[in-house]
Amino acid sequence: MSSPRPSIAEPRWVRFTLTAVALVFLGFFLALPLVAVFVEALAAGIPAYLDALADPEARSAIWLTVLVALIALPLNVAFGVAAAWAIARFEFRGKSALITLIDLPFAVSPVVAGLVFVLLFGSQGLFGAWLSAHDIRIIFAVPGIVLATLFVTFPFVARELIPLMQAQGREEEEAAVSLGASGWQMLWRVTLPNIKWGLLYGVILANARAMGEFGAVSVVSGHIRGETNTLPLHVEILYNEYNQVGAFAAASVLALLALVTLIAKTIVEWRMRRETAMLEASLSPEGGAASPAA
Amino acid sequence: MSIEIRGIGKRFGNFVALDNIDLDIPSGELVALLGPSGCGKTTLLRIIAGMESPDHGQVLFEGEEATHLHVRERKVGFVFQHYALFRHMTVFENVAFGLRVKPRHERPSEAEIRRRVTDLLKLVQLDWLAERYPSQLSGGQRQRIALARALAVEPKVLLLDEPFGALDTRVRKELRRWLRRLHDEVHISSVFVTHDQEEALEVADRVVVMNQGRIEQIGTPDEVYSRPASPFVYRFLGDVNVFHSRLHGAWAEINRLPEGAHAGEALAFIRPHDIDIERFEQAGSLAARVQEVHAIGPSVRVELAHGSELIEVELTRERANALGLSRGDQVWLRPRQVRVFAAEPAGEEFGSGI
Repeated sequence: MSSPRPSIAEPRWVRFTLTAVALVFLGFFLALPLVAVFVEALAAGIPAYLDALADPEARSAIWLTVLVALIALPLNVAFGVAAAWAIARFEFRGKSALITLIDLPFAVSPVVAGLVFVLLFGSQGLFGAWLSAHDIRIIFAVPGIVLATLFVTFPFVARELIPLMQAQGREEEEAAVSLGASGWQMLWRVTLPNIKWGLLYGVILANARAMGEFGAVSVVSGHIRGETNTLPLHVEILYNEYNQVGAFAAASVLALLALVTLIAKTIVEWRMRRETAMLEASLSPEGGAASPAA
Repeated sequence: MSIEIRGIGKRFGNFVALDNIDLDIPSGELVALLGPSGCGKTTLLRIIAGMESPDHGQVLFEGEEATHLHVRERKVGFVFQHYALFRHMTVFENVAFGLRVKPRHERPSEAEIRRRVTDLLKLVQLDWLAERYPSQLSGGQRQRIALARALAVEPKVLLLDEPFGALDTRVRKELRRWLRRLHDEVHISSVFVTHDQEEALEVADRVVVMNQGRIEQIGTPDEVYSRPASPFVYRFLGDVNVFHSRLHGAWAEINRLPEGAHAGEALAFIRPHDIDIERFEQAGSLAARVQEVHAIGPSVRVELAHGSELIEVELTRERANALGLSRGDQVWLRPRQVRVFAAEPAGEEFGSGI
């Protein structure tokens, strides 16, 4: 900044100290652990690292993690868009209850979430007898992991979309319908294109959580190696067995995922800011002159 | 296409938005729904469009029941106050939207779509903006594109919700003349909502003045301005001086109260340009003292004090020059045209009468 420093700004040494404190804190608690993960993972050399990842149990854990995310995310998108649309567009009884319910997974400990599913679908649970009579396995099997993951990732998409859709209003959709568009045409041609960046942002966050979730999944999975172990559970098991290289190799995959998530998130945030600026521009009268008369 | 509205009512909770509205809109007319905010005009427009459903009553298009027809099937063009252009589509695609979403067997060919959209963009004189996005246009341009988009599906009725409300004054004036010309060209029944009396009087064939969910008066711009049917219309359409019979007996008696009105207080409404200023007292004239003289454009506005009350008079420049008024002069006022209404119950004062 070339302009002279305004007189209300803090003295130079205050700003310097605050910045330094923040940087040191970030370094110790975020950057250092991240580096440590990769250092530990590569401690026995690259071949050992690759071997650890090629291990059938590790591969199965990675695959299961991806599979769960692939099932949970589309469901999340469908639910999130539907809920956000209903909340942003309509007034109905129980609307505030629905908004509160959407936030429930953020408020509840993931372990409790997992336990709830055990209580419902476990062999001693509410539906346990019926499920075992029909030979359906949910707890200690993939469906349980999917359910637990769905529960904890439930709010991300809806939370992201509700304020966005409220800000955009319903006029464009009304315009589409008055021009003869059917409900689906409106959804695909107007609603979704308008929220695509917000939706992607929600999906990225939900994905990071889905792949990284430990607590809820740990309760319902049963830790069956090669079958119901996701990547985070796999890390824990290897670590408890003093398999440093294996544990950190698996952890490095999660850390890489985090980095990719951060980059994707930054790009999407940048795009969203541009869209918001465009939205504001498209609502203001020309030249930003007189404000619209109500 | 003609529109008939029969006994339409709509409530939002305890708020009565529309109270038993009856209205006929003949084919090919440009009609303004005029009223203060909250008078129900936008609700009425949205009911005609099918975006809101009435609690009771009927909407007929060309004599046929349309009350429960879906928006999509009504063949109405709707223009929004904030344009509601599809922000992720180019101007061309915005206008083409209505054609592209038609069922396959009705959908025109790509070449036909291109031709029709180009024609419409020429009609609104913006064909050079076809590849731009809405955010790159000015407000006036956006509203013209919104109009072109609405016209693309060849609607039988055009509905406009405060179409110029978000524009600045200069663009607004330009655009409403343009809308009038456009209407004369395409001649489609149009209804537009506005709270701006000047806009309604200038553009519309007929003006429907609304207040608190009811229609106060329907008439040509000249009728509603020069022969207002109620005190509300008098106050809402332009400036007016109000005189109380109790205080200004002679003036309020010039026209007798309508039959049936309970004897008692009456109000006389006189527009500023319907009062003449004289230097000498005559029968029925009112003494007043000049307070301010403002020359505004072609006319001269004089503020006078009658006792503690302020009276506003508008004179032509010639008349003002002939009188040579200056502050503090003692003069006499003579009304040219007066309307007398029974006084409203206390507490129902509205508008900005003087």
